[in-house]
Amino acid sequence: MSSSAEQPSRHSPPAEHRPVGPADVLAFADRARLRVLRLAATKALHVGPALSVIDLLATLRLTVLRDRPGRPDWPDRDRLLLSKGHGAYGLYAVLAESGVLAGDLHRLPGHPADGLPGVEAATGALGHGLSLGCGMALGTRLAGRPGRIVVVTGDGELDEGTNWEAAQFAAHHRLANLVAVVDRNGLQQEGWTEDVLRLEPLADKWRAFGWSVAEADGHDPAAVRYAVTALLDGPGPGVLLAHTIKGRGVSFMENDPGWHMGRLTAEQLSTATAELAARATARPQAVRA
Amino acid sequence: MRAACAPVIAAAVRSHPDVITAGADGQALFGPVIGADPRRYIETGIAETNLVAMAAGLARTGWRPVVGAMAPFLIRRAYEQIRLDVSLPGLPVLLLGVGGGLSYGPLGPTHHAVDDIALMSALPRMDIYCPADATDAAHVLRACLPPGRPTYIRLTAREDPPVIDSGQPGDVHAVRTLRAGRDALVLATGRCVAEALAAAEHRAGAGLDVAVAAVTCLHPFPAERVRELARDFSLVVTAEEAAGPGGLGDRVATAVGGPPAQVTRLRVDDRYPPVGTHEELLAFYGVDRSAITSALTRTLIRKGDHEDPV
Repeated sequence: MSSSAEQPSRHSPPAEHRPVGPADVLAFADRARLRVLRLAATKALHVGPALSVIDLLATLRLTVLRDRPGRPDWPDRDRLLLSKGHGAYGLYAVLAESGVLAGDLHRLPGHPADGLPGVEAATGALGHGLSLGCGMALGTRLAGRPGRIVVVTGDGELDEGTNWEAAQFAAHHRLANLVAVVDRNGLQQEGWTEDVLRLEPLADKWRAFGWSVAEADGHDPAAVRYAVTALLDGPGPGVLLAHTIKGRGVSFMENDPGWHMGRLTAEQLSTATAELAARATARPQAVRA
Repeated sequence: MRAACAPVIAAAVRSHPDVITAGADGQALFGPVIGADPRRYIETGIAETNLVAMAAGLARTGWRPVVGAMAPFLIRRAYEQIRLDVSLPGLPVLLLGVGGGLSYGPLGPTHHAVDDIALMSALPRMDIYCPADATDAAHVLRACLPPGRPTYIRLTAREDPPVIDSGQPGDVHAVRTLRAGRDALVLATGRCVAEALAAAEHRAGAGLDVAVAAVTCLHPFPAERVRELARDFSLVVTAEEAAGPGGLGDRVATAVGGPPAQVTRLRVDDRYPPVGTHEELLAFYGVDRSAITSALTRTLIRKGDHEDPV
């Protein structure tokens, strides 16, 4: 490893991906949703958090991150860390839909584990991902390599103090190749974040810590792609507050903290599947199937 | 120990382009590194949890981090990061805990780390070293650099009495016999090696012939060698500046497994300490030279092997 060159190439957009439009991303994300829902009909899992974050993960994977198909260990890849590890099945489903992860998702652990293709670190104990991402971003820059790091955190997760140690660190070391995406669905296990432990004014907090801040609808692939790309091209670390809906895509789960973790009955699965199918029909035709 | 270790770390950074250092507003171990190339030292400020997880991130991008911080805060505050971010994936991160045990003395229980060995012992993947003095610490560091796996080295905050021959430090993974004897064996680690040698010297004046051996590597533990050594003695005393399970005493007792040797374990108990110097606290917990001397005498009298002349 060379530590002398310090010339990260941070230019967006990604060169490695084929063009993918927002409708493609949403269709892809709903196929991933279906995988999660089918699993959640066989056992209790963190279904609400997974549905909340799937559009973000799909957008990042398909339109932002640079990788090499079939080479999840490619050293110059962009790295995606799911710090809110309880969204594991959302990540697994997106990785499976991408062809990165094969086999029976049912047997995978409830939080991302080391050794799985596309999983950059074991997460699930909250508040680790941003610090891990800081080390990856700095290590990549010091080695003179082009990789960029995107850390997806929960909003409730920001209660953990280590995030703010990492936030100070990233700003101090001007980690321009680091972006945090906050899955701002407003809910944590026991209720609204503003009732459990107030986070607002969240954007001001990040700005005060020295970060560039963007906000977008987390279920709008074009908006998310634009914001994250702009943040990655900025002079320091950036955070996207991605406004999302917990349980997104299934009407009886949306904004209901009761679905933080749960198991679907056969009837619920049938209803949810029908809703996804209806969404697909209503959606403008994807550029690519 | 820091003065002896700093040049060893700097040499490793010089010879291995993938070794990098990181600390939390404590740079005594890394001064020569910073002097030579400040980019090879990463400062996190007083933020140990971020320090450890950040170092794990460095390791995941190909670096071999050497992390140094005050032992109580590195080990206790960042324990979850050590377990999940370093030990679980088995990353090549070397953790240096300054002020392990009671060596911060009168700074009080906030700064003591008598539980560092027990906490590190509870991890499925963590090599653990407890050097006997500054020479030993530098020697262990040379053996552990460049980092290849999760490793913890306990360093003391102040200079301890020298006990290891700098010309022939021996194998840090072995059990090093520093004094031969026939009547009893004292196995000690860290600062207690000096205490054991002093106790053996004192008992020699009273006609007891006590062997002393230093055990610096607690994991992987040289169990076979300990078993062989213990075979020649009816009494084995262990001495360590550590509390809780997983320390030298437990490891020796497990290795010896029972008679003929009786294992007497001297270690820190579960009391919070009074204000005291390092030496006074060793005495308070009964792991100093006087306590080792008493343990030797008391046990040998009870066994009828020896008539105490005192």
